[in-house]
Amino acid sequence: MNTLIKKKRTRELILIWFFLAPSLAIFALYRIIPLIWNGVLSFQFWDPFKPTEFAGLYHYEEMLIYDDVFWQSLWNTSVLMASAPIGIGLALIIALMVDTRIRGRGVYRTIVFLSYPVMTVAVGIIWQWLFNEKVGLINYVLMSLGIIDEGIPFLESFSLAFPSVIVASIWQVLGFYMIILLTGLQNIPQSLYEAAAIDGAGAWKRFIRITFPMLKPSIFLCFVVGIINSFTNFDLVYVMTQGGPSHVTELLITYIYRAAFTLSKFDYAAAMTVVNFLFFVTLAWLANRLFGGDAGAVDEGT
Amino acid sequence: MRSTITTTVAAVAFAVAAVLGTSPVQAEKKISFLAWNIPHFKAGAEKWMKQFKAKYPDVTIEWLDKKGSEWSTYYQTQVVAGTAPDIVDVQGGLWLEYASKGGLLDLTPYLKADQASYTSELYPEFLSSWVYEGKNYGVPFYISKTLLFYNQAMFKKAGLSGPPKTFDDLLAYAGKLSGGEKSGFMTLNFDWLYWSLMAMNGVEMFTPDLKKAAFNTPAAVAAVEKLAAATKSGAINKISWTGRWVKPNNAFAAGTIGMLQAHSPAFMWMKAKGPWMNKDTVGVAQMPGNWSTPNSHALLISKSTKYPKIAWEFAKMATSGGGAYDLGSSLNVLTGSKVANKKLMAYFEKNIPDAVSVMKTQTEHLDKLVGNWPVAKDAAVKEAFYPELQNALLGRKSAKEALDAAEKKVNRVLSRR
Amino acid sequence: MHRYPHWPLHLALSAVCAAMLVPFYWVLKTSLTGENIFTFPPSILPEDPHLFFFVDVWYTIPFASYLANSLIVSIIVVAANVFLNAMAGYALTRDFVGKKAVIMLFLSCMMIPFQATIIPAYLITKELGLLNSYMGMALPLCSTIVCIFVFKASFDAIPKSLIDAARIDGVPDWMIIYRIMVPLSQSAIATNVILAFIWSWNNFLWPLVIIRDEAMQTLPLGLSRFLSVYENTTGALYAFCIMVLVPGLVIFLLSQKQFIAGLTSGAAKG
Repeated sequence: MNTLIKKKRTRELILIWFFLAPSLAIFALYRIIPLIWNGVLSFQFWDPFKPTEFAGLYHYEEMLIYDDVFWQSLWNTSVLMASAPIGIGLALIIALMVDTRIRGRGVYRTIVFLSYPVMTVAVGIIWQWLFNEKVGLINYVLMSLGIIDEGIPFLESFSLAFPSVIVASIWQVLGFYMIILLTGLQNIPQSLYEAAAIDGAGAWKRFIRITFPMLKPSIFLCFVVGIINSFTNFDLVYVMTQGGPSHVTELLITYIYRAAFTLSKFDYAAAMTVVNFLFFVTLAWLANRLFGGDAGAVDEGT
Repeated sequence: MRSTITTTVAAVAFAVAAVLGTSPVQAEKKISFLAWNIPHFKAGAEKWMKQFKAKYPDVTIEWLDKKGSEWSTYYQTQVVAGTAPDIVDVQGGLWLEYASKGGLLDLTPYLKADQASYTSELYPEFLSSWVYEGKNYGVPFYISKTLLFYNQAMFKKAGLSGPPKTFDDLLAYAGKLSGGEKSGFMTLNFDWLYWSLMAMNGVEMFTPDLKKAAFNTPAAVAAVEKLAAATKSGAINKISWTGRWVKPNNAFAAGTIGMLQAHSPAFMWMKAKGPWMNKDTVGVAQMPGNWSTPNSHALLISKSTKYPKIAWEFAKMATSGGGAYDLGSSLNVLTGSKVANKKLMAYFEKNIPDAVSVMKTQTEHLDKLVGNWPVAKDAAVKEAFYPELQNALLGRKSAKEALDAAEKKVNRVLSRR
Repeated sequence: MHRYPHWPLHLALSAVCAAMLVPFYWVLKTSLTGENIFTFPPSILPEDPHLFFFVDVWYTIPFASYLANSLIVSIIVVAANVFLNAMAGYALTRDFVGKKAVIMLFLSCMMIPFQATIIPAYLITKELGLLNSYMGMALPLCSTIVCIFVFKASFDAIPKSLIDAARIDGVPDWMIIYRIMVPLSQSAIATNVILAFIWSWNNFLWPLVIIRDEAMQTLPLGLSRFLSVYENTTGALYAFCIMVLVPGLVIFLLSQKQFIAGLTSGAAKG
């Protein structure tokens, strides 16, 4: 009897790893190996035309001690990440509203989602215009309503540029969060709600006791995506402000890209990539712990 | 189960084999040309390739074109992979990095050899923009430099008769022209295009040996303070310091900017967006002091090229005589060839009369060119200097603080590896 | 089901939709008029709308060719994603030694932004002989961690009792997956299809770096044609963006049914 179970278990293990293999292979090729490449590079003086030299901690020293742009961009990235709950919260509210039986929910769903597939270039250009100090729509509306006298230079102001970029970023990604949350909402069996209704539970209690806990994996996913968005929001920042003025909208990823391809300092960019990675992996690990350790999976037997 | 595994492995192997395949052996010589954002020149490029094929039948030219913001990503990836394009069309200071690292072919011997037949046709001032440490790496592809455009209607309304002749006049006029949604002055700022504003105040960027920063002078502080004050009051539009291409040019084309410092391609772009623009409604002049920053393009040859002589022949064809004329008449720009430019001016007079006065400014005062320093770390210096300048101009720091910080950063960039 | 008034919901959703639509409306408007968006005051209604820019886009760039290339690559990516991600997602619902490590590995892989991997990814693609090919463009995108977790969450939500019952009946694993779990994860599949399609369709930097032939270029690469420094291309630029947007939208609309189906099937099985 024991050998039979063992055989079944081995068969199952083979199946599991067989299923994981293709994805793992792709990640190994296109994420892990490049990460290692960056890691190795970060300890060298690298040049496409000359032989490489060992650099030790030179780049890390430069980055952590002398480079205030690095710290500024790390801070900005963290702020963008911290703003993710706003977007997720909004998306959750919208998802809940759209998940009901109201007429036209398909239309609402589509409209909210519309922002996501638009090419980021168009998004960036339009939001640039919306925020324009002299001719932008937002200022036009604010001035017409008499709320302000003079246009606000959103993207040229050191204090308002970043929040403006965050607003555009939330607009763009709202549809994405909504879709993930909608999928999660579909996973909640109606029977649970019906049982709770029979027990006389009100809407709020139903939300707290049923919806929210069962949405944990989806919310976890949104958080992780929010973290990732904060450092891959490259395209939007690049088009809207190019990291300016004076680095107030600089994200670590835009700085890494510029260091690599504009300043041709691939080794320095590699060092920053390593630090970026370590920072966010730690955050992801903490998030995973916070959500229960199994990528936010719901406990069995609920 | 076992048979499934075998079939899968076999299928994968087959697929891999099919995918890898074998590429046919090329008997032909292949030269690749990487252009910088001139996709509508395709027809002209094909003409060149046909002409070249007639002369060198065993050579194929591969024409690649990337937009400026992706150009360096593409080029450097190719360099690392060992397949750098043979001829590259560059703008701005990117080439200095590659030249200093030995990635570009030194063209000095080629230029010397063809002095009479080719080199004498080029403007020496534009040719010398592509010299690094005594070696000439590039030949001018098409040229442009900054000038002052002004909105005649706005000038008339403000009671101004002609363009400003001094820095202080410029700021005073800007003040008079602004109000409401209108701004008095705007400038492009990429690739040091704003530098004439500093040059006309006697500010030098580097010491003559290019080893240290030399811009932190009382004159510079005073100039930056004045510019910051004008920006604060709205006389100078803030987009001057934060915009790149679309925003500033669009604004002038919309008729809300009194004066714009930009180069000749900007005029052609704006004219398409603002049909009101013509030689009567837009005034054209040099900036006070006749200072200007060139933003020319050049052709350079990668050192890793397998066929340097052939690449050189193609580069020569593209930058002189009929070839240069094809380029200029298609893109509406002037080239580095004196011969071609003569024909081009005639072409412009016939076809785009509104642009003639603009084009004339592009080859005037070639002794007052600034902003193109042959410093290998040009990009890093810009990165160190410009954000601090932005800090001062947009009112975050005082001019003195900002220039002090900028000086420290630039000196650090110049001294570190 | 509780009855509650719908009109507050409609009001709130309409407000949200209006806010979401404003930027999009301007993209649409400019694609119909090609106006300078920097004119003041901004005009609300399109003046002289015409479809010329859409026609212009079709002819200025080899739109049909780009479209075909984008379609081929995206189909490869979507198909690969659905299979690979569902497989990996299923594997993660089982307990096995190293599961926590694999989850952390996946999460960590998400923390490696693409821009930092361009050069090694290019070199690897070169070694595989996949430069300038559809497979080369598609491969890095063939599996995405977000979607793996979406599948995992979806599979996790299927009642254990259902699967256990099938197991006791002696149904083999693959049949459980195929006959029970997949049909109950319609919305996860729909999400995967939508997201994988959009990510592949809008992918710009990767095809730019590995494609040399004009004939292999995908739609986003045609974008640079409309960001020219030398011509007036605003109207065409926005028309182009709208045209590129349409397929993603169509896929989303087609997948809408799955969301509704998921809702009802959950009720039936619960």
